Amino acid sequence: MKETHEKLQKGILKPSENLELKIKKIEENEGKIHAFINIYLEEARKRAEELDKKEKKGKLYGLVIAVKDNIAVKGMKMTCASKMLENYLPPYNASVIEKIIEEDGIIIGKTNMDEFACGSDTTHSAFQTTRNPTDLNKVPGGSSGGSAAAVKAGFCDLALGSDTGGSIRCPASFCKTFGFKPSYGSISRYGLADMAMSLDQIGVFSEDVYGIQLLFNIIKGDDARDAVTTTQKQSTTKNKVAIVKEFFENCDKKIEESVREKIKKLNAEEISIPSLKYALPTYYLLVYSEFASTMQKYDGLKYGSKGKPGDLTETVSSARSENFGLEVKRRILLGTYITSKDYREAWYVTTLKARSAIKSEIEEKLKEYDYLLGPTMPMEAWNIGEKGEPTQMYAADILTVPINIAGLSAISIPLKNGGLQVIASQGDDDKLLKFAEGLEK
Amino acid sequence: MKTIIGLEIHVQLRTESKLFCNCKTNYLKAQTNENTCVVCTAHPGSKPYFINEKAIKNAVKIAAALNCEINEEIIMQRKHYFYPDLPNGFQRTSKPLGVNGTLEGVTIREVHVEEDPGRYDLKTGKTDYNRCGIPLIEIVTEPEIKDSEHAKKFLEELQLILAYLEVSREEPGSSRVDANLSIEGHPRIEVKNINSFKGVYTALEYEERRQKKLIQENTPYGQETRHFDEEKGTTTSMRKKETLEDYRYSPDPDVPPIAIEKNTEIPELPKPKRERMEKQYALTKEDAETITSEKKMADAFEKIAGHSNAKELAKLFKGILKKQLNYRGIKYQEKLTPEIEWIAKNLEQNKITEKSAEAILIEAIDGGKSAENYAKEQNLLGVETNIQGLIEKTIKENPKAVEDYKKGEEKALNYLIGKIMKETKGKADKKTILKTLEEKI
Repeated sequence: MKETHEKLQKGILKPSENLELKIKKIEENEGKIHAFINIYLEEARKRAEELDKKEKKGKLYGLVIAVKDNIAVKGMKMTCASKMLENYLPPYNASVIEKIIEEDGIIIGKTNMDEFACGSDTTHSAFQTTRNPTDLNKVPGGSSGGSAAAVKAGFCDLALGSDTGGSIRCPASFCKTFGFKPSYGSISRYGLADMAMSLDQIGVFSEDVYGIQLLFNIIKGDDARDAVTTTQKQSTTKNKVAIVKEFFENCDKKIEESVREKIKKLNAEEISIPSLKYALPTYYLLVYSEFASTMQKYDGLKYGSKGKPGDLTETVSSARSENFGLEVKRRILLGTYITSKDYREAWYVTTLKARSAIKSEIEEKLKEYDYLLGPTMPMEAWNIGEKGEPTQMYAADILTVPINIAGLSAISIPLKNGGLQVIASQGDDDKLLKFAEGLEK
Repeated sequence: MKTIIGLEIHVQLRTESKLFCNCKTNYLKAQTNENTCVVCTAHPGSKPYFINEKAIKNAVKIAAALNCEINEEIIMQRKHYFYPDLPNGFQRTSKPLGVNGTLEGVTIREVHVEEDPGRYDLKTGKTDYNRCGIPLIEIVTEPEIKDSEHAKKFLEELQLILAYLEVSREEPGSSRVDANLSIEGHPRIEVKNINSFKGVYTALEYEERRQKKLIQENTPYGQETRHFDEEKGTTTSMRKKETLEDYRYSPDPDVPPIAIEKNTEIPELPKPKRERMEKQYALTKEDAETITSEKKMADAFEKIAGHSNAKELAKLFKGILKKQLNYRGIKYQEKLTPEIEWIAKNLEQNKITEKSAEAILIEAIDGGKSAENYAKEQNLLGVETNIQGLIEKTIKENPKAVEDYKKGEEKALNYLIGKIMKETKGKADKKTILKTLEEKI
C-alpha cells in the first residue's frame, strides 16, 4: 500500500492506471469472493480520469477505496445488506466520505456485511455470502467481511468498515490483514447506519499500518454533525505493556503461541482483569437495546417493500417481518423485551452498571500500561455454514467487545496464526498506530 | 363535588433552527417538506447535530420564571412509538430540566424539552415534516387546578410570562394542551390536543358540566381519552380505558448530557412588575394590570412616566391606547412611544384636548403621520387657548340664548355649546366649554 501511495504522489502511477490494476483483480476474483454488494466501475473510471488531469494532488490522490455498505455515499445505494434498504439511495455523503473525496480518493463500491452489522462472519447478508480470500471455504469474519476481503484480495488500496464489537478486527484477523478500530468519538459517525450507537465506530482496513495511518489522519476529528465526537487527548508514555491473562482462556493454542512469540521482546507483564467475564453478556444486552431503538425507523412506510394494508400495527409488523433477516429480528425482539417497563430494571439498568464497572477496571489498568496485548480472535476463521447457533457466533466476540464497551482504541495485526490485538486508552490512537508500526516488521 | 384538573402544556420555543439540525423553523410559511434534511427525516446513518443551545437557554428561562428548581444537566431520552409523523420511530424528549415550580397556586411538577413531530394528514395519508424537530417545552402541572376559571387564570398568567420572556413562538398552533379533569372520586378523563389556551377553558367547562351531569344522573363512566372539537366547543370519545403504553424510555446514546448554565437571567416578570408599578406610580390595580399586559407597553409607560404625571398617563394608556390596540387586535409597538410622549406632554399643558389626543394616537397607530405633524396639520394645537375668546364671542353674538339660559332654559345652553363646537369643528372639549360658559354667563 505504501508503495502505491508513493508512486501516485510522485506521478509514476496515474489514478486511472491504479484503478485498472484493481479492476483487473476484481474481474478475476470477485466472482469467487463476493466482497461487494454494488460496484461502481463507470463512476470510478470517470473520477480517475478527472484525477489524472489534476495538478495539485490530495493526500489520498488516486487511491482506490472500498466502503462498507452501511456508510452513506451520495449516489451509491446503501443497503446495509438488508432487503429493507435494497433500493435506498442516500441523498448525502457521510462525513468520512466528504473528507475522502476532498483528498482525491476514488470510491469503487460498497462492500458486503452482515445485515445491519448483526453478525461476526458476513454470512448474514440478505444478498450473498462473502468468502475469505485466504481460503475460499472459510468465512471472512464480520460484520465488515466484505471490506476485509476486498483489501486482502487487492480489489482496493484501503477500505472503510465499522466496528461495534469487533466488526473490523475480527475480519482483519480472519483475512490476515490490518484492521483498526479507533477510540469512540475520534471519527464522526455521521452517515454510518446505526447498530449500537454508544459502541459504533468507523475504522480502516489496510495491508499495512502506513495505509491505516494515512486514512485515519484524514477522516479523524470533531464533527458538529455527530455530538459524540470530541477532541481527544493523548496520554503520556509509561513504557510499559501488559498481556491480559483472561484473553488466553479458551484461545486456540497455535494462536496463543503466535501471539507470545510476536511480543516476547516487549517484556510484557501478565495482568488480570476479572470483570472481563461480564463483557460478553454486557455487550450483547447493550447492543440489543440500542439496536431495537434505532431500528424503529424501519416501519415499512418509507423503506422496504410495503407492509400489508390494515391498521398501523399490522402494516408495520408485516413490513418488518418481510424485510428483516432472522438475526436482525432476534436482536430487535430481545432489545424490546429487555427495555420494556417490566424488565428494564432487571436487565437494562443492570447492564449499564456492568458496563461502567468493566470500563473503569480496564481504564485503571491503562493508567499503568501503555498497551494491553492479546489475541484478536480466540480462533481462526471457521468454515462457511459451520456456526449455526447464534450463541456460538456470539462467543467468538469475547476478546473484541471489551474495547467497545470501554470506548478504547485497538488494532489487529496479522500473525502466522490468528491476529495480535493491541489495545490503548481512548484518545491514544496516533500513539497506538506508531507502536503498531514498530510491531509490523 | 370537587373538580381536579391537571395540565400538560406544549409550547414551541422560539429558535431560528430545529433542535438537532440546521433546518429553519418557519414551518407555517414554508412549502411542504421544504424545511427538512436527512437528520429531521431520520435517514439511515444521519445523526442528531449538537443540540440547539438557544432552545435549551429558552427552556431554562421558562423553568426559572416558573420558580422551578433547575437540574444540573439535560439528559435526552428516546420515547418509542410508531406513527407516520415520527420518522425515527421515537421522539427525543429530555428528562426534567426543572421541577417543583409554582404559578397561580398550582405546583409545576416538571418542565422538559422535546422535539415536535411532523404533521400527518389522516385524509390524504401524507406527512409534512417541516414541523418535525422544532423544539418544544412541555410544562406539566400537578392536578391542583380547581376549575375552568382557575385554569383560565393560570394559562393567562403563563401566556403573559411567556410573552415577557420572548422565548416562545406565538403563531396559531404553537401551543397545545392536554388536560386531565376528574370529579373527586370519579374516573379521570383526558382531553388531548387542544390547540389554543382559549380552547382549554371551553373544553374544561364542557367536561366539568358533562361529568357532573353523568354523576347526577347516576350514569357510570370509565377512564377515557377524549378529543376536543374546537368548532363545536365539545369533546368526543377517542379511546376508552387507557392501557398504559410502554414507551421504553432510554437515554439517547447520540446526545451526550449537556450541563445547564447556572444563574439564568430573566426579566422582571408580570406579577412583581404589576405590584411594583402599582406602588411606585400610585396606580389602581386595574391600571397596573392593563399597563403590564404587555412588556413593551409597560416599558413605554415607565419611560414616559419619568417626566410626566403618571396618573394622567395611566388614563391615556388604559382609556385610549389599550382600547385602540384591542380594537385592532394588535400589540404595542415601540414606535408609538415618542408619539405618546408628545401627546402626554401636550395634554398636560392643555395644548390639546382628550378628544384630539385620541385622534392623534389613532393616526399614529394606523401608521400615519407623527403626532406633532398630524396635530399641526389638523389644527388641533392651541384649541384650549383660543377657546376662551370663542366662548366670549359666542356669548356676545347670542344674547337671546344667554337670556333664556339665565331664565332657566337648559336647552339654550346646549344651543350655545353646539355653536362653539361647530366653530371648532368638534375639536374642543365639551366639558371645558361647559365649565367656561357657566363661569362667564
